[in-house]
Amino acid sequence: MTSYAPYGIMAEFETSQGLARAVTALKLAGYTRLDAFSPFPLRDVAECLGVRTKAIPWIAFTAGATGAILQYVSQYWMNAVDYPLNIGGRPLHSWPAFIPSTLIVTVLWAGVATLLGLLLILRLPRLHHPVFDVPGFERASEDRFFLCILCDDPQFDQEAARRLLDDFSPVTVTDVPACE
Amino acid sequence: MARGAEISTTAVAEVPLSAQFGAAWWIALIVSGTLVLLLGYTLVSVALVGVGMWGVNVPFVWGFDLINYAWWIGIANGASLFAAVLVLRRHDLRTAVNRFAEGVAFFAVICAGIFPIIHLGRPWLFYWVFPYPATFEVWPQFRSTLTWDFWAISTHAILTSLLWYVGLIPDLATLRDRARHVGVKRAYGIFALGWRSSVRHWAYHQRAYRGVAILVLPLILIMQSVVAFEFAVTLVPDWHETRQPLHFIATGLAQGLSIVLLVAVLLRWALHLERHIDNHDVELLGKLVLASALVSGYLYVDEIAAAFFTDRLTRDALLNRMTGDYAGLYWSAIVYSVLIPQLLWLRLARRSVLAGIVVGVSIGIGVWFDRFSIIVGGLQTDYLPSTWRTYAPTLPETGLFLGTLGLFATLLLLFVRFLPVVSMFETRHDEHLEKL
Repeated sequence: MTSYAPYGIMAEFETSQGLARAVTALKLAGYTRLDAFSPFPLRDVAECLGVRTKAIPWIAFTAGATGAILQYVSQYWMNAVDYPLNIGGRPLHSWPAFIPSTLIVTVLWAGVATLLGLLLILRLPRLHHPVFDVPGFERASEDRFFLCILCDDPQFDQEAARRLLDDFSPVTVTDVPACE
Repeated sequence: MARGAEISTTAVAEVPLSAQFGAAWWIALIVSGTLVLLLGYTLVSVALVGVGMWGVNVPFVWGFDLINYAWWIGIANGASLFAAVLVLRRHDLRTAVNRFAEGVAFFAVICAGIFPIIHLGRPWLFYWVFPYPATFEVWPQFRSTLTWDFWAISTHAILTSLLWYVGLIPDLATLRDRARHVGVKRAYGIFALGWRSSVRHWAYHQRAYRGVAILVLPLILIMQSVVAFEFAVTLVPDWHETRQPLHFIATGLAQGLSIVLLVAVLLRWALHLERHIDNHDVELLGKLVLASALVSGYLYVDEIAAAFFTDRLTRDALLNRMTGDYAGLYWSAIVYSVLIPQLLWLRLARRSVLAGIVVGVSIGIGVWFDRFSIIVGGLQTDYLPSTWRTYAPTLPETGLFLGTLGLFATLLLLFVRFLPVVSMFETRHDEHLEKL
């Protein structure tokens, strides 16, 4: 079934200041479902949109701790319990020898979990997204700034949104059709 | 990155997208590709015939394999450490050198990883170091440094490749959006994973990238120490020293930085990236190389001084390295990795392409001599005079080493051809911050 419901409405700006002004104003106007696009990280706009990245350090910490415990315990179990080898009378549970690989594997788990967790949080990879249908959107990765009001915003009204966006003198305002 | 002047990242993006790349690139690729074939040949022949083709024999069970492993891993660790510090310090220099410093680290760790696997003699059984439930119900021995190394190399390879790739995603999206042919667009598009430059995504991306850069710092220090522990935990008089990790970290950092400097001046010169990797960047890099060479120099002095406070056997072993059969290597190491880099005190030298190449190659050679001197010269006079022999590499070993040099060069050439060598989004970001 083909749906004609739009994904949202997109405004293109020449400068990051233009984008920041529009985001601040729309937030004040009570819009909650907004997304902004920029060729480089914009900290203030992200803050204004209420982006919270706290999950990242927690993922790293949890995965790192899991990796550390798993590595240390498995070394202990393998070398001191399941397959004890007497090498010159040295203690079976020689903990200093178990530390280097424990530390290394902690970093392995934390690092891999952070980077894969990042992709999971961002819902990437994906083959297509409605915003790619906006003409000129390829400049979002070069030198243009975009602001999208998503249609699932409780206040969303195509005409009102278009009028509101026009106030911030964007280059263009385009309807973003939803993908089927 | 150029300060003050407004620059566009188009020049960087156009490099991988250009249809023609010039004859020089092809010639370089053919030369390095030939060396990769040599690598394949030597690897297959060692696998078929065995390590008897090499000059290694008791007591020198570690010859070129470990020398070259320790050398490559030094480059990988030095370059990684440098890249991580730049990211964390949010230093200007990171926009210019971070991308290829990480690339250098990744390619070097691939070259390094070949040696420990092939020197096992039966390389197809390398997975035995991984704790898997084997039929005989035996487990790896974690009280041995060699099992630590398995984790260190694999972790470094996985983490540097992932970090490098995640850093590349936004730039791959730029290439996807700028590509003129559908095929090229799709190729970059697949690797860009559908990145759409959302501010929300940027925030997560930056947090994760910096988080992993923090993790890389201790990893590199532990890893380079593990390489040194492989020597330090043995009872060989010259190796059994607590200063060993420090020596490996310091010389490894000098080596990593020198290769980054070498690649920086070559890229800047070959791709005309003077505006992205400017004089200021190259000069700063030169100063870092000089400083790290001075630290290496300090560690050589420390080695000599420490010999006076230690037992006779250790002192004799060091004296043998300085005056014995392999004395040339010891002194060449100091000349190449400490004395020649002093050239960089001159501003003229720090800005010259030629001096950058000379010093970069010189430290590389010097540290290679140092590893040779430690691994072979240090083992020459052990406790048993009946095993006092000499070691020299055979042709297949040399071929293997040249092959990894070719592999490194090939990977670097392909990277230069198909990927942006300078981080474009970081450049745009810096430019934006300067305007504010």
